[in-house]
Order: sequence, then C-alpha cells, then structure tokens
Amino acid sequence: MSNSLHTSGDIAVSVQHLGLTYTTTIDRRPTLKSRVKTLGRGTKHTRTVRALDDVMLDVNYGSVLGVVGANGAGKSSLMRVISGILPPTQGRVEVFGKVSTLLALGVGFSPSLSGRANVHLGGLAAGMTRDEIADHFDEIADFADLGEAIDAPMRTYSSGMYARLAFSVAVTVRPDILIVDEALSTGDAKFKEKSLEKIKELRSDARALILVSHALGTIRDICNEVAWLDKGRLVQRGNPTDVVDAYSQFLQVGKSAAIDEDI
Amino acid sequence: MEPTTASEVYLPFRKGLPPLRGYWRTLWKRRAFIAEYSRSELREQHYDSVFGQIWLILNPLLLSAVYFILIVIIGGHSDKLRYGHLTACLFLFYLVSNSLSAGVKSVTAGQRLILNTAFPRIMLPISATVVAIFRFLPTLVIFAILRSILGLPISFQIFWAIPIVIITVLFALGLAISISCINVYFRDIANFLPYFTRTLLYLSPILWEASDIKPQLRTVELFNPVFSILDSWSRVVVHAQAPQLSSMLISLAWAISIFFIGTYFFLSREREFAVRV
Ligand SMILES: Nc1ncnc2c1ncn2[C@@H]1O[C@H](COP(=O)(O)OP(=O)(O)O)[C@@H](O)[C@H]1O
Ligand SMILES: [Mg+2]
Repeated sequence: MSNSLHTSGDIAVSVQHLGLTYTTTIDRRPTLKSRVKTLGRGTKHTRTVRALDDVMLDVNYGSVLGVVGANGAGKSSLMRVISGILPPTQGRVEVFGKVSTLLALGVGFSPSLSGRANVHLGGLAAGMTRDEIADHFDEIADFADLGEAIDAPMRTYSSGMYARLAFSVAVTVRPDILIVDEALSTGDAKFKEKSLEKIKELRSDARALILVSHALGTIRDICNEVAWLDKGRLVQRGNPTDVVDAYSQFLQVGKSAAIDEDI
Repeated sequence: MEPTTASEVYLPFRKGLPPLRGYWRTLWKRRAFIAEYSRSELREQHYDSVFGQIWLILNPLLLSAVYFILIVIIGGHSDKLRYGHLTACLFLFYLVSNSLSAGVKSVTAGQRLILNTAFPRIMLPISATVVAIFRFLPTLVIFAILRSILGLPISFQIFWAIPIVIITVLFALGLAISISCINVYFRDIANFLPYFTRTLLYLSPILWEASDIKPQLRTVELFNPVFSILDSWSRVVVHAQAPQLSSMLISLAWAISIFFIGTYFFLSREREFAVRV
C-alpha cells in the first residue's frame, strides 16, 4: 500500500478543457427489433447528452476540493472521468497518483452476495491482491460497524448501510486521491461525524480529496476550495465561503422562479 | 514544485484497440477476480452442494435419455454406440451453449460495476466461460463412467480429447466475448439466444452422426462452426479413433477466428460501454 509519496502542494489531478458526451438510445433499451423496424427510414437512433463542457480544474495534494451543483450538473460524470471509468470526449485529464472513488470499491457489486464477498470482489476488480484485501478487511468492517450484517446479502442493506461500507473501503485502502461522491449524506449523524474525522485525518496526510456533496455546511467546513458546476460547465471556483454563498443564492433564485411558475 | 510525470493520462476515446501490452498486464493482475467471481457465481448456482451437483449431471443425462427415446421412436440407429455419441456430444455442446447463455448478459448485468470501477471489461465474459467450464467438468466424469458401463472401445487415441476440449474452450470463450459485446448494442439478443442454440443443436451431429448425412446436405458442415468439433469429439471419445486432420484444422480455424474477431470488437468498443449500459 502506498503511503503517500506526495508532498502538500504537488498537483494531484489536472483537468484540461474536459468535455464529455453520453450517447444514449432514444428507446429505453437498444434492440435489434427496433433497429430492423426503422431500417431504411433514416431515423436517428441515438441522442446525445452533453454532460461536461470545457471544464478546467486542478486539485493539489493536501487539499480538499468540494464540488457542488444541482442534480444533473455533471458532478458524477466528472468523477467518473477522473477515475478513468469514462474516456473524455474532448480535452485531457492527468492523474498523478492512485485514485480510489467511493463509488469504485466494493459497492453493490452483486446484491445477492454478502457485504464481505462484495468487498473482496470489488477490491479484486480494482486491482488489489487477496493479501491486501485480507490485511484491510478487519479495519474496514470495524469502521463500517455493520455488525452481523456484513455477512448478510447486500440486497438487504439500507442505502445508509451501503454508503457506510463503501466509505469504509474507500478510506481504508488509503488511496493517494480519494473521491467521495454523495455518500456522506446518507449515513446517520454518528457515522457522519466519524467520517468527517476520517476525512480530516486523510487531509493532514497530504492526500488529495474530492468531495461531492449537497451538505453545504460540511463543504464550507472542511474544503479548502469549492467548484460549482452547472449544466456541465464550471460556473465558479474558489474560496469555500464565496462559492457556497453564490451557489446558495443561485438555489434561492431558482426556487423563487419555480414558485413563480407554479402560480 | 515541478510535478513528476502523470501516472495516468486520459484522452478522448478513439475507435481501435487499446495498447495491448498494458491491457494484458492489468488483466493478468486481476486474474484473482476472475477466479473469485466465477466461484461466487457457481456458489449461487449451488455448484458446491450435493443437490446442485446432482442436478448439474442429471439435467443433461435426462435430456440425452429423452433424445435417445426420440431417436428410437423415429427409427434411427439405437445401439449403445449411438447412446454414447448422443451423450458425449450433448455434454460438449452444453459447454458451448452454457458459455453463450452466461456470457450474453455478463456485461449488461455488470452495469453498476462498469459505471463505478475502471477495469478490463473482458473479465466479465471470461468469468462466464470459466463458469461453463466448471459445469462441464463433472459431466466428463459421468461420461467416463457411462462409457465403461456401455463397454465402448478404448485406445490411446482418446487423448485427442485434450486438444479438442481446448479448441472448444477457445471457441466458447470467443462466443461469450462476442455475444456480450453485441448485447450492449442490441439488448434483445438474449431473447433470441435460446432459439439460436436450439437450432444449432438440431443442425449439429448430436442427435445424428456426421456419417448419416446425405451428400447433398454436406454444406451444413461448412456453415456450422461446431460441426467439425463434434464430429472429432465423437470419433475420439466414443469410437476411440483418431480424428480427421481436416476436421481438427477446421475446428481450430473457427475457434481462432471467432476468438480474435470477438476480442477485437470487444476491446475496441469496451471503453464506450460505460456510456452505453
Ligand atoms: N449513463 C448515462 N447515460 C446517459 N446520460 C447520462 C448518464 N449518466 C448521466 N447522464 C446525464 O449526464 C448529465 C450529468 O449527470 P451526472 O454527472 O450524473 O450529474 P450529477 O452527478 O451532478 O447529478 C445528466 O444530464 C444526466 O442525465
Ligand atoms: Mg451524481
């Protein structure tokens, strides 16, 4: 396991002019039947969704970047590109270190398997060895504090339990770069406190953290910097207080506009 | 501070193969995943329980009994050689068809994993084929027992079974890789699959023998990729004769072509799967 070889201030992730487009079929499911039916009619089968547009961003070691934005703003998409799950459509992403997304490890790999089996499979899929997983397993189970439920099938888990296990895996394997996508908000108060402690600990270890959350209070508290995404574009980035204030104001405005429309 | 070189650079997706050496290295590093995933899949099918094993063996045995009765009724050959042929070929055919049926949804069912983890996607159809192989192994034991009960001939030629199984596995793997990729783009392929395998079963020398076929119909040989494999298999494990060299070469050519074509399409498309599933 790498114990951070990086120094605070080193660049961890550099996102340059990033664009991402999803291609989805117009039908709910792409089928051969629908393709044959529309053969020769020149109908379009796909629709594109512009999820990210010319995003510039960098994250340094030793800092926590908060990412805020409405649903569908492209936050998860950005995290997927940084962790190498989705290739960008335009631009370039450079990563200097080992990334672990909170989404990435051991989460709901197979609902019929136990939490324990899912942690093993998720770890193996992410490229860990059996020994590495075995070394960390007790710590993971301890931190998640699920008790007996760790051996129950994951389909019996609540979304809070899911998030606890995933978070525990992600922080325990000590990645250089940790990405937490909207998983802090589902735990209960006690776990939330524990995970915030953990995040602060990791921050002082000179790792890089990217935190996607709707809990603006938390974002303001622990981030060094905040980026605000809207409709795939980077609206503002900078000091947490400024960006969170601007974003809350935007939300207020959106709300009153929506209220106006209702009338 | 001047940053060191990036450990990863992500650039726009281009059609074409990813760097193969790096791909192979990440795949090899994750071989434990394939073992573990197949094992959990087998456990789910109760492979490790006594009843699961009995069912695994009983199912094709019952099927071969039913087909044998059918053959007797429609008045074909009905001796012990024919029964041995039917059973052996059915078992090998099941290796291919199980690989197909487990492979078809392997990528689309792994949706959550694909959206949340970066890994070589080809691990999913490979695991499906490994499961099919493990389901095939006990039937080999059953056939060995059956052939000694039937008193089928024995000779050293039986060792030809080893290359035949290897070719079949390569073929089954190629099919699983291809069909899992096709299913990402056409989700209804999984629904057509049972009809396809059933048709393939009837057009293959399983319920009949390759030597029964009328000369005018011999063209099926060319278009049926499992024809030569099954013909060789029957000669070797039932009749204890050497297979025809031409059949072996044709089988190998099919297996290699399907494997490479399927793998090429899979690898050149897999980076797109996450935005498609
Ligand atoms: N797998 C997908 N296929 C097609 N479109 C998608 C997919 N995932 C997300 N999108 C679209 O991309 C946009 C951004 O989504 P996402 O990154 O999930 O936003 P956020 O996480 O900020 O809520 C949305 O318009 C969404 O509909
Ligand atoms: Mg999201």
